[in-house]
Amino acid sequence: MSVKERNEGDVMVLDLSGEININTSPDVRKCFDKLIKEQKKKILLNFEEVGYIDSSGLATMVEMMQRMKRFGGTLRLTNLTDKVRGLFEITKLDRLFGIFPSEEEALKDF
Amino acid sequence: MAKTVIKVENLIKTFGNRRVLDGINLEVYEGETFVIMGGSGCGKSTLLRHLIGAIKPDSGEVRIKDKDITQLDTHGMDEIKKRFGMLFQSSALLDSLSVEENVSLPLKEHTKLAPDIIKIMVKMKLGLVGLRGFENHMPSELSGGMKKRVGLARAIAMDPDIVFYDEPSAGLDPVVTAVIDKLMIDLSKKLLITSVVVTHDMNSVFRIADRIAMLHKGKILQIGTKEEIKNSTNPIVQQFIAGDVEGPIQFLTKGDDYLEHLTQ
Amino acid sequence: MISFIEQIGAFFRRPFEKALGELRLFLQVIYWIFVGPFVRKPFSWRSTANQMAFSGVHSVIIVFFVALFTGIVLAMQSAYQLVQFGVKSLVATLVAVSMARELGPVFTALVVAGRVGSAITAEISSMKVNEQIEALDTMAINPVRFLAVPRFLGLLVMMPCLTILADVMGMLGGFIIGYFSLKINPGLYMNMTVKFLLLKDIYTGLFKSMIFGVIIAIVGCYEGLNASGGAEGVGRSTTVSVVSSFILIILADCLLTGIFYFLNI
Repeated sequence: MSVKERNEGDVMVLDLSGEININTSPDVRKCFDKLIKEQKKKILLNFEEVGYIDSSGLATMVEMMQRMKRFGGTLRLTNLTDKVRGLFEITKLDRLFGIFPSEEEALKDF
Repeated sequence: MAKTVIKVENLIKTFGNRRVLDGINLEVYEGETFVIMGGSGCGKSTLLRHLIGAIKPDSGEVRIKDKDITQLDTHGMDEIKKRFGMLFQSSALLDSLSVEENVSLPLKEHTKLAPDIIKIMVKMKLGLVGLRGFENHMPSELSGGMKKRVGLARAIAMDPDIVFYDEPSAGLDPVVTAVIDKLMIDLSKKLLITSVVVTHDMNSVFRIADRIAMLHKGKILQIGTKEEIKNSTNPIVQQFIAGDVEGPIQFLTKGDDYLEHLTQ
Repeated sequence: MISFIEQIGAFFRRPFEKALGELRLFLQVIYWIFVGPFVRKPFSWRSTANQMAFSGVHSVIIVFFVALFTGIVLAMQSAYQLVQFGVKSLVATLVAVSMARELGPVFTALVVAGRVGSAITAEISSMKVNEQIEALDTMAINPVRFLAVPRFLGLLVMMPCLTILADVMGMLGGFIIGYFSLKINPGLYMNMTVKFLLLKDIYTGLFKSMIFGVIIAIVGCYEGLNASGGAEGVGRSTTVSVVSSFILIILADCLLTGIFYFLNI
């Protein structure tokens, strides 16, 4: 599991790769903690390289979204594989997050 | 062909001088719902307890993902146990803990996840079994069907690959049974969980099963898809499906030795 | 003749098997306290604290009254004899020493066995017959670590505390009789108590109480974890737990008192 940060304009894009599961989601959360502290307003998560996300990963995303809401930030998701998208749909989280098919569309939406 | 997740080879178990399991062979494939059915005392619960490593066989192998669990020590077995969930006949929720504490128990025990994350996960799992807002109830305040659903939420708390169900419809009315069956189907199809179900509820069996194994007197009579079992020519299987009193499975004593039995 | 020996053998086999099982459970508990936290998984301090509170709260009132009345009875019975020898002030010493060395720890243990030991067995055995222990097992949660260790530590800590309470209450009971009935001067009563009550009287009593705590916890958990047979089994194992705790407490008391007596401790 790795997270790479890059800036696209005023949007912080995180390229996630690997599996987000019970063992790796605490690492993702640590990374999020830092961004929360910096009060990043616009964050886009790129799931292109994420093969699987379990419920601890989903919970981490939900918590991140909630925490960003507190200072008026927005979280967007993009490039979800079918499997990962399915996992968001089962728990009805797809209605909660802004999920976009491509990075350009997501960036435009901010 | 799908991948084999569980493989049982030549499993034999004797209690006293009664051979409860007499050379069981079966395979469970990834993502399917595999039902083990049979009458009371046919050995199906014993078989299930071998699959979860609660009982060691006299001989034979139980391979879960290519690991023979009959040879594992407790530590190795614990690692396997974290990868599967189990729904017990009586739900087996801890009475002294609330619904939330019950579902979060394996997460708190086995992971380093933050308490906030665990809380969200528990709510998601309870949402999956249709029990939003019941976090703070105690098990004693819930009906049998609700307890079963909490038990199911706990079984899937760790995102297992395999879930075992012991008589999921026991003690439930037909409607609640149908609800539980629907949940089982949903979970296995959506979360791609392999399910192994032990039951003798025929309605349930034909709703949920991909494949069925019929167990009788410690032996497997037949393994097949729903249709194959429905159209089985085996008289025992047919009697069991139809629920007939007359047939090869005999409960009533026949005339010949009855007099002898009574006067002995 | 042979069948007679067989019968004796059969008679002793079950208690023997039980003792072995309890010893095994004791060793497992020790493992989970001292080794487990480093190589496997720590036990929960929170539930240990809960168990301490539970065993304390459940027994404190009864221990209070039992010890107070024991002290009163003890003072009256000893006064009955000592007054004849004209040394009624020795009542204070006798009450203090017998409470600290013997009656405080034993009566506290019997009360706790009846109150807390039975509750432990009832809780764990009903978990056992309702598949809850098996559920813990399939969740890879060791029942000894999860259930037995907190109860063991809880009793190990609370027993000496309750015993100190019992000692004090017993002496108060003796004082009541000494002051109101025997008209012993309060200063003299205190003096006679403090002067002849040695530190070793107190700590041998507290040592005993810890051993009794171990017995109650291990027997209580053992009977609970080995219960079978539905609701009836819960009742049966609870009774057995209390009875075996009583027997083992008296046996251990006899043994320990013997050791202290002959080694002059």
